Amino acid sequence: MSEIASELDSESSNERFARGSRLVDLLSKTGLSLAILAVILYGSFSSPAFFTTGNFLNILTSMSIIGIVVVGMTFVLVVGGLADLSVPATIACGAILSLGLQPVIGPVPAFVVAVALSGLIGSVNGVLVGYLGVNPIIATLGIGTIALGIVQAAVGGVIVYGANPESAEFVKGRLFGIPVVVLIFLAVAVIGHFILARSFWGRWTLATGGNYSAAEASAVPVKAVKAGAFVITAVAAGISGGLLGLTLQSARPLIGQGYEFSAITAVVVGGVSIMGGFGSVPRAIAGLIFVQLLTNVMVLDGVRTPIQGFVLGILIAGAVGMDSALRKRGVA
Amino acid sequence: MRQTIAIVLQYRVAIILALTLTVSGLIVPGYLSETTLSLGLDRAAAIGLIATGLTVLLIAGQIDLSGGAIFALAGIVSTILQPSLGILPAALVGVFVGGLCGAINGGLVVGLKVNSLVLTLATMLIFRAVAHWITNSQPVTGTDIMFSLTMAQIYLDIFSIRSALFIVCIILLHLWLTRTIAGRNVFAVGSNATAAEESGVAAGRVVFFGFIFAGSLAGVAGVLQSLVTNTGSPVFGSELTVAVIAAVVVGGTRLEGGRGSALGTLGGVLTMAALTMAMEFQSVPAYLQQVVSGLILILLVVLDRTVHTRGRAAGAIPLLVTQNPITTGGKP
Amino acid sequence: MIGKKSMIYVAATAAILASAGVAQAKTVCYVTAADSHAYATPANVALQERADELGIEILNLSQDFDVQKGTEQLNTCVARGVDGIILWPLDPQAYIPGLARAQQSNIPSILINSPMAEQANQFIKSFTGPDVYEEGEMAADALSTAMDGKGSVVIIAGQAGNGTTIGRVGGFVDRLKEVNSDIEVLDTVNADFDQQKALVVSRDLITRFGDKIMGVYANDDTMARGFIDAWKEANPSEPTPPIVGINGQKDAFESIRSGEMYATIVQSPVEDGKLAINTMAEILDGKEVDSRLPIPLTVVTMENVNSVEPAF
Repeated sequence: MSEIASELDSESSNERFARGSRLVDLLSKTGLSLAILAVILYGSFSSPAFFTTGNFLNILTSMSIIGIVVVGMTFVLVVGGLADLSVPATIACGAILSLGLQPVIGPVPAFVVAVALSGLIGSVNGVLVGYLGVNPIIATLGIGTIALGIVQAAVGGVIVYGANPESAEFVKGRLFGIPVVVLIFLAVAVIGHFILARSFWGRWTLATGGNYSAAEASAVPVKAVKAGAFVITAVAAGISGGLLGLTLQSARPLIGQGYEFSAITAVVVGGVSIMGGFGSVPRAIAGLIFVQLLTNVMVLDGVRTPIQGFVLGILIAGAVGMDSALRKRGVA
Repeated sequence: MRQTIAIVLQYRVAIILALTLTVSGLIVPGYLSETTLSLGLDRAAAIGLIATGLTVLLIAGQIDLSGGAIFALAGIVSTILQPSLGILPAALVGVFVGGLCGAINGGLVVGLKVNSLVLTLATMLIFRAVAHWITNSQPVTGTDIMFSLTMAQIYLDIFSIRSALFIVCIILLHLWLTRTIAGRNVFAVGSNATAAEESGVAAGRVVFFGFIFAGSLAGVAGVLQSLVTNTGSPVFGSELTVAVIAAVVVGGTRLEGGRGSALGTLGGVLTMAALTMAMEFQSVPAYLQQVVSGLILILLVVLDRTVHTRGRAAGAIPLLVTQNPITTGGKP
Repeated sequence: MIGKKSMIYVAATAAILASAGVAQAKTVCYVTAADSHAYATPANVALQERADELGIEILNLSQDFDVQKGTEQLNTCVARGVDGIILWPLDPQAYIPGLARAQQSNIPSILINSPMAEQANQFIKSFTGPDVYEEGEMAADALSTAMDGKGSVVIIAGQAGNGTTIGRVGGFVDRLKEVNSDIEVLDTVNADFDQQKALVVSRDLITRFGDKIMGVYANDDTMARGFIDAWKEANPSEPTPPIVGINGQKDAFESIRSGEMYATIVQSPVEDGKLAINTMAEILDGKEVDSRLPIPLTVVTMENVNSVEPAF
């Protein structure tokens, strides 16, 4: 037991994660499903408006924009990258550029360029964290500040408005009765899940997060994998920002404020450990669904906006506390 | 030559501070006057007091995101209680509330053995919600505006009460960290908590008191802010956390724990304040100010990395999450 | 970019020193709410342009909606030894010691856009700009007219704890009480002057109250837009309930024309910015100014939408 904690011994640590995760998996998966079920039950009793197609569609639409970021953030937590605090900057970059460049190069290329530049911000984060070993909190905080400043300077610190109503109509519209943003979110989620759970990159990500030295020893390109997680998050945030800009038809530099913490909240509540090495996209999305349902129920019950933070805080604390408790059980 | 570089790098904060002051003094008229320096110092005091507390926590390998929320809450409590208790007793209660918040943070981090980044994100939301709840989201007003005016006074041409307090705190902290066994234990816990435990240091207790210290100082800063402005507001301090972390890290304290210094933090706080003041004097737009502070932050951290990490795997997971049993939850 | 600016600065200082005794350019410190904001940006631009015309140099400091930052920036202004301070207060009290310090240093201060508490009066020369409380009252009157004085409404408010929010909500609620209105406020939610947040809270409000929402008061037009979008999502075929916003943005004018919105209150950021610097210029010339200088507020409905200019 003691050697596990004291040394980064590859064998025992791997075993710890393998053995621990089965139990943790079972407990926290059922735990979260039960919690979601409980909220749905409570909501249905407390408000007649809750259990309606309209409301569920509304929850789904509202969670799509943040959901795309959550998919990316899952990679950062799983790879052991703590958190990406540059998300507000990358969202703003996506939103401002995808609107600002519309008159110059057209809506679709503008969106693509916006996402690509967001990805570029992510790769700077990635190089700093993955290759230079800078603490992710500091790296993403610093790069986020710089990127946001540059984007603001580029547009002169003002608000950018949309110039192409068709693209707005498309994003706000529906396909087969489902809002387009929801479909895009689902597509991003499926792709993210595939990469993390089924591809070699996902295996590397899990291995790197689980035990860095062991992964390095077994020829995983750990630095690239770590850097990659930040690029993925930035691209996701760029897409999310672009969609946000198109829906609102206006973008200001502070448009993405708070999204980093909302995304972390969802991922952590979903039971993805901040220690890395363990987690999946569906879990994170389950966490997001739970948070969104709970927020929805609170609003329907008339809980004042600032007070909702109280419940969210307790939720996060409970989730990490449970994670830690289950983990200990798993090791024993 | 190499030695010169080593010295330059070791005192990089002092050098950057000196450079900032010299360059600003040369190009900004009236910059190096007593008024500017005393007001600059006063302005640095709020960030500085919180940074003093955070320095200890970072050295111990923990982080606290809730400082800004504690700042607001302590200020509100001290303002609300003024009519019934009188100004000074109310102020003491405010500081006590800060310490209590710190104890909650510390108790949960040590007791539940959870990661402090996520836990203090949770308590940040909770403390902020409580601040909104007890004030009904309205700023509250103190009883005596004249007292505030006295508090804001500059004495001996250079110190305001809070800037003097900040300097005293940071010097005391410096002496404590470098001259006492308890102080050195903090470093031991931060660099390797398991080893510290084995050599008889109660790591959990060190971390717990670290949080109380950080909370109390955030409380002191908040109470002083409320006294100076005669106001307690639930929105105070919402942007503080990032500035504080940046100042401490610029001062050479590491997020991974085990290394840092109080004098470095003093340098970091003063550098950031001097820079802001200089740029504001020149009417540099806020977004460009952000770029400059972000660049300084990244530059210093990368410098720190390149100097001190030879031989260590560049991408290794920060100690914050791996070797610290308090954060990993695995007691030996 | 410090370098380039400072070169100009050095040159300017040299020129001033050379012409010592001759009237020199006055510097005014402008502590604005934010750099990038639908209302603040045009106000800042207008103030800057007018200052250029008057030959006044502006030291532009942005609080980014952070009160604490603003209280500290007042220190910078005093340290910089400017000739006057224009403050955009985000809190009724917190800036008083800073203003007092400015007064001790013989720097005259005025407030732009938002009022402060009475205790601040002795430290300021004037307050120019719209009265956010009055706007709340006007919004209450407009919505009462639209709803024939009865029914139930929701309020979509700005940031909790923010001075503008407090004034605009307070004025509205107090006015309803004052006239013994039969209008009931179902709920007040905060959407931080943010369109996306307004969209999300409106979806929830519509789900929660449905037909009970007979009127909407949004603290600004951006958030009113959010409610309209949410309403269209939920009930594509039904007309929106009467919605009253504030600011008088272009797209709000279009919404009024199309009947999606009932009214908005035009307060021109350009007038706001200009009036402040003009007033400061008079103070610097040694003239007396009124302690309260309002900018015109106009309620815009379907009736006068074509004869009034949108604010921005």
